[in-house]
Amino acid sequence: MRISRYLSYFVILIFLLTLPLYTGVYLLNVMDIILLYIALALSWDMLLRSGQISFGVAGLFGVGGYAAVLLNLSTGMNPLISIVVGGLAAGILAWLVGIAVLQLRGMYFAIVTLALAEIFRVIIRNLPDLTGGPEGTILPSAIFAGNSAKTYWLAIAVAVVSVIASEIFRRTRIHFALTSIRNDEIVARSSGINVFKYLVFIFVITSAIQGVTGGAYAHIYGFVSPEGSFSVDFTLLPIAMALLGGMHSTWGPVVGAVLLGAVSELLKLHIPYGHLLVYGLIIVITILFFPQGILGTLGQRRKKSR
Amino acid sequence: MEFRENEILGIIGPNGAGKTTFINVIGGIYLPTHGKIFFNGQEISELPAHRRCKLGIGRTFQLVRPLQGLSLIENVMVGGLFGKGLRQREARKKAEELCEFLDLTDITREITRMTALEVKKMEIAHALAAQPKLLFLDEVMAGLNSDETMQMIALVRKIHSRGIVIGIVEHVMRVIRELTDRVIVLDWGEVIAEGPYEKVSNDPKVITAYLGEEA
Repeated sequence: MRISRYLSYFVILIFLLTLPLYTGVYLLNVMDIILLYIALALSWDMLLRSGQISFGVAGLFGVGGYAAVLLNLSTGMNPLISIVVGGLAAGILAWLVGIAVLQLRGMYFAIVTLALAEIFRVIIRNLPDLTGGPEGTILPSAIFAGNSAKTYWLAIAVAVVSVIASEIFRRTRIHFALTSIRNDEIVARSSGINVFKYLVFIFVITSAIQGVTGGAYAHIYGFVSPEGSFSVDFTLLPIAMALLGGMHSTWGPVVGAVLLGAVSELLKLHIPYGHLLVYGLIIVITILFFPQGILGTLGQRRKKSR
Repeated sequence: MEFRENEILGIIGPNGAGKTTFINVIGGIYLPTHGKIFFNGQEISELPAHRRCKLGIGRTFQLVRPLQGLSLIENVMVGGLFGKGLRQREARKKAEELCEFLDLTDITREITRMTALEVKKMEIAHALAAQPKLLFLDEVMAGLNSDETMQMIALVRKIHSRGIVIGIVEHVMRVIRELTDRVIVLDWGEVIAEGPYEKVSNDPKVITAYLGEEA
């Protein structure tokens, strides 16, 4: 049983890795978007498992993007390394913010994260000498000189890292800590869990992933700007994806990212401005009618039919 | 007041007397506004709850809150993983032993299908998994029928025989009478009486606290 499962994973992986051999640039670019959104949706879900909702994904994403691009431009840093450093920058920022703010919970934390994303955006817009101001900054060339196979593999790497992180969060004691904290913090604390420490840790790790994703995105497109890099799309869409696919899991956000990523590309072709409305509707409908998401609802049906 | 080695101490008092608050203060959910708390000679007044758990203070909760998303055995494992810092495999083994000790079967099941008695046992197992030296049982008998109460009394004795000091908050006086060596009575947050159950239950101050003043 297990062998056939791993075999099918392996086959799918090989298929995905060799995709550039038999598809064109457009499809690879769509895959890039989907893969990066997988990372965002997963990292958002990982924090959700502790009971905390973040509305600041775009903030960490944009910070990572700007850090990666500016470091590359000003110091000639290797683009790949700059992406990692972008993740580190986002992580450090999250650490500073986290120790200040993670005494707050629930709605207060959520609103603070939303405010933070906006603050980052405003700061960046108002430091034109450093960041290029409202027009943003363009890289002289995109990473890998725009080679779509290599950018695709970069996106795969980012997605794989986030999948591995999510699975680590599910298989180690972190899973127990997150679930306990989410259920009841008082019980968690009385069981020996240092709730604050765990929340900061999770916030930092997930923010670093979002920063790396932002760095990768910035280098693939060769461009950062306050409106583009901090767009609310990068917060709302991952949330919709994680919820639609099935929260509190690894494959739920992945499924959600694939579905909604494809949908959003289609929508862009036909409804250039209505997409936010659609995402909002999806979030509302999912929460109201099937809060477990696609995978969660399927899992429950399977259990019932036993 | 103090807990003595090897004892089972009853904590009683009318509703709102502060019994659960007392547990919360010892457990570290609330910090004392004045006064000090010592545990095995060490002052713990400022320590956060998770540190006190590691030192050996455990407790159950009045309104049982099983952890959704974890199975029965996983619920129990939490105490071992974080209270004792055990590795997952060891924590699972200890948790299995505890479930056997408490007569809990079918331990890999989801927690949605458990009887009231089983849920309470799981709650106790969860607290025991952290290997406490002092364990507070907060109204464990609530909602149990006569038969189940007998079972639970036997269980508490079994736990006590492992050398754990027990503080038991109860409204069911029969339980207090049977289990405890000594009782403290709380009213409006103060200890108004202390001693063996027979002495305390005849104390006029205690009777007044429960029944109110004569007109």
